Amino acid sequence: MRKGFFLGAALLVILAVLSMMTGPRFYSLSQLFNALFHSDPTRTVDIIIHTSRVPRTVLAMGVGAFLAVAGGLMQALTRNPLASPGLFGVNAGAALFIVFASSFFAISAPGSTLLLAFSGACATGILVWFASKVSNGQLNPLRLVLAGVAITALCNAFTQAILVIDQESLDTMLFWLAGSLARSDGASVYPVLFLGGVLVIVACMFAGQMSVLNAGEDIARGLGQNIARVRLLASIMVVGLAGCAVALAGNIGFIGLIVPHIARQLFGSHLRHTLPACALLGALLLLAADIVARVIILPQEVPVGVMTALMGAPFFILLAQRGGKYAG
Amino acid sequence: MKNGYPFSLLRRRCLQALLLSSVSPKLFAALAHQPRVISLFQGATDSLVALGVTPDGIVESWAEKPVYRYLRPYLSGVLQLGLETQPSLEKIALVKPDIIFASRFRHQDVAPLMEKIAPVVLLDDVFEFKKTLQVVAESLSLTARSDRLLAQWSQRIATIRERVSEQFPPSQIPQVSVIEIRPDHIRRYLAHSFPGSVMSELGFGWQDQDVETRNSSLRFSSMENIPLLDADVFFILLRANSPAITRQYHNLQAHPLWQQLKAVKTGQLWEVDSVPWSLSGGILGANQILNDVEHAMTRRSP
Amino acid sequence: MPDSHIFRCGPLMREYSRSVLPIFLLCSVVTLLIIVSALSIGEVVLSVPQTLQLLFQPDDSAQSFILHELRLPRVILALLAGGGLGVAGLIMQTLVRNPLASPDTLGVTTGASVGALLWLSFFSLKYGSSAMPYAAMAGAAVAVSLIFLLSWRSGATPLRLVLTGVGVSALAGAIVTLILVFSPLTTTFSAWIWLSGSVYAASWDKVLQLLGIYLWALPILLVLLRYMKILQLNDSLAIGLGVAIHPRRILLLLACVLLSGGAISLVGAMTFVGLIAPHLARLIIRSGFFSQLLITACCGGCMVIIADLLARTLFLPADLPAGIFVALAGAPLFLWLLIRQRT
Repeated sequence: MRKGFFLGAALLVILAVLSMMTGPRFYSLSQLFNALFHSDPTRTVDIIIHTSRVPRTVLAMGVGAFLAVAGGLMQALTRNPLASPGLFGVNAGAALFIVFASSFFAISAPGSTLLLAFSGACATGILVWFASKVSNGQLNPLRLVLAGVAITALCNAFTQAILVIDQESLDTMLFWLAGSLARSDGASVYPVLFLGGVLVIVACMFAGQMSVLNAGEDIARGLGQNIARVRLLASIMVVGLAGCAVALAGNIGFIGLIVPHIARQLFGSHLRHTLPACALLGALLLLAADIVARVIILPQEVPVGVMTALMGAPFFILLAQRGGKYAG
Repeated sequence: MKNGYPFSLLRRRCLQALLLSSVSPKLFAALAHQPRVISLFQGATDSLVALGVTPDGIVESWAEKPVYRYLRPYLSGVLQLGLETQPSLEKIALVKPDIIFASRFRHQDVAPLMEKIAPVVLLDDVFEFKKTLQVVAESLSLTARSDRLLAQWSQRIATIRERVSEQFPPSQIPQVSVIEIRPDHIRRYLAHSFPGSVMSELGFGWQDQDVETRNSSLRFSSMENIPLLDADVFFILLRANSPAITRQYHNLQAHPLWQQLKAVKTGQLWEVDSVPWSLSGGILGANQILNDVEHAMTRRSP
Repeated sequence: MPDSHIFRCGPLMREYSRSVLPIFLLCSVVTLLIIVSALSIGEVVLSVPQTLQLLFQPDDSAQSFILHELRLPRVILALLAGGGLGVAGLIMQTLVRNPLASPDTLGVTTGASVGALLWLSFFSLKYGSSAMPYAAMAGAAVAVSLIFLLSWRSGATPLRLVLTGVGVSALAGAIVTLILVFSPLTTTFSAWIWLSGSVYAASWDKVLQLLGIYLWALPILLVLLRYMKILQLNDSLAIGLGVAIHPRRILLLLACVLLSGGAISLVGAMTFVGLIAPHLARLIIRSGFFSQLLITACCGGCMVIIADLLARTLFLPADLPAGIFVALAGAPLFLWLLIRQRT
């Protein structure tokens, strides 16, 4: 277990270094070293590394971790191995708010888009949560999924409607909708990354309670757990993490779905180990996907959401072939 | 609502005459019988206005809705048929047109339906504005006008080519970059596009890798790609009234990689309106491009 | 049983409970009303008597042309496509035993999207767009075969089918996004419209094409529908009853693909109908697969007709794709039903 973590962390560092070296122009290790530790504000290489490569690497790691932890929590919450954070309608809500604001109010400052995306994600999360409660106030996982699908479709329909009428916005939004880590503005990103990081740590501490719930409702109730409150807290964390991720990078798909499966395979199914493993593996995967996305069709760049789907889908199919034995 | 001619027909004709007189002075002899014409894409609308014909129905423009600013004086009161991708067939049927100009790419599907209303002329590559103009003129028996417009065009090209070659050393073909600033990325138009074809006619050259590709534009989402934009002359396409685009442009200008580009250092950098350059697809828009290039080349006499 | 009717016709026999008939009648009447209103309302609003008269006595006026050549094929195409998608969704949901299944799950929609967009971007200019439905069907066929090949291991369990379906759909979705992002702007707009689902360019040709495709699926449905109840059971139970489930399941899924693939290739990627129409039907009629089938077809068809009506009248003069309004019409209804059902 420990070995696994250390191995993972080492791999992460290697990939991070690789990511900072990769781009339309490849920089050598020594150039990178100089830029990071003996930086010279007038050298072009240093400027690029500081303004573009480092933030992008940090962003990739952060978003990957958020998505994976949100996915792990979601799968434990709904006890459904096919659940992903997108089921809360987070991606759809964020997209709708952004598209609406940029079409009708022409709001497009990077800071405001972050805020809009996050509020959109939270708004739909709340909507789905309310729609999925049964008469005695309990959260029913099946209804959660159904409500999530319906509200996602509704938000997507509105978004599509606006983009058909305002065709100009389509060109702008397309890359965001496809999932992209290429933000040109760095400053407003860090508060969101910080919030996400805090949520990841809270989630890992919360893992114990979640695993009790995962064992079954009756068992949990028998052990004296307040199921409704645990579910509420878990939902809040999922929406928060997924909201941060979507605000930073748009619509990135497979990470929340696949990484928890891999984490379970490698680290066992106890949530106390799986959630931190999810964070690590999510960061690794998204970083790897971003590196490939940047080099595969130079000089242009593939949106990273497309890359994760292209890399994740075959893997998912492989998982499916193994026969569908899952926890929960 | 039947589309009758509004009372300001005479005023509209005078305005058209004023515009076209800068292009050709003998164009405003009125036709004996005006056929009812529908235009379903921007290039055809532009060509019709250039030929002095007011269409009886047009589709919405891509930007500056519902009609581009440079065409607004001549198309006020013309019936709107909806989006270019899905024009309202019911409205077209009610107008009872004599001829419909459509784009093969977009309207192939509905062409059989429209054929039941009126003859449909399908045009291929929407950026080949000269061909569009010729086909439209032929269908309306206005070839004399189109020939005159094209002769005017060739004259202007020859004049401006000379100006361009004055600006640069004679042995070297000046390379050009047509860069469009969009809110979240930068697009670079290549030779096989509307502005690109005009640039090629004017004698500008392209980077080697541009010649091989068949794309019409390249999309750069990261500032690291700035060195790839390098050329002797820049034409920067900006959209008016868009704070997002202005902000992106300022970000670009402040980036140190931008300062190192050839055109930025020599000051051969010209900001132009992106609508005629990238969205018009017609001869009036192309003439606007020539205006901008002429303006750029004469401002800096050696 | 005094509450049920039994209809006999040679070797075929169907048993209906008495309460179902009024529901059928109500559904048919509502559908007819919706059709007539869709035919009357539009850019030119015709009164109902005028509509009915023009319907049976066409003349040379522009109104008659609009009714017969523009609106009638459009409404019928919407009805057929919605009905087909709804039925395909119902069969999928029953076979896979998952209320979230839809033709999407089998990869039909995304496969068809890949086929259609590839044609649109690369071949449409040279070879015309009349072959686009075939490209879409080919894409759907490739996606579905891929899913079956990958999940076949002496039979395809529903769970494995669904999982593989999700994977292949995501792959196809990534290709679609790639095409959208890198194609020239003009292509992107047309592709976006197709991906929203639109009955705009409906003509009698297309209606006949769709009917032709449905006719291939009809025999399969007629023969195999009686086995639906058994196929819903546990696999081992069904095998124990002596029913060969795998070939029947495959054939029914094939029928699903034909129905939904045909509809999508002619109308675009209208995804929501196949998911929601069966739920709505199940809320109206609780049991009896065949009755649910008919009601689903009606529900699906009506959803698309109403969506198309809203799409072409709400934002005049713009004629928007109907697929957008399908979700706008269906999702709130579904949510309301979900909330109302507080069990």
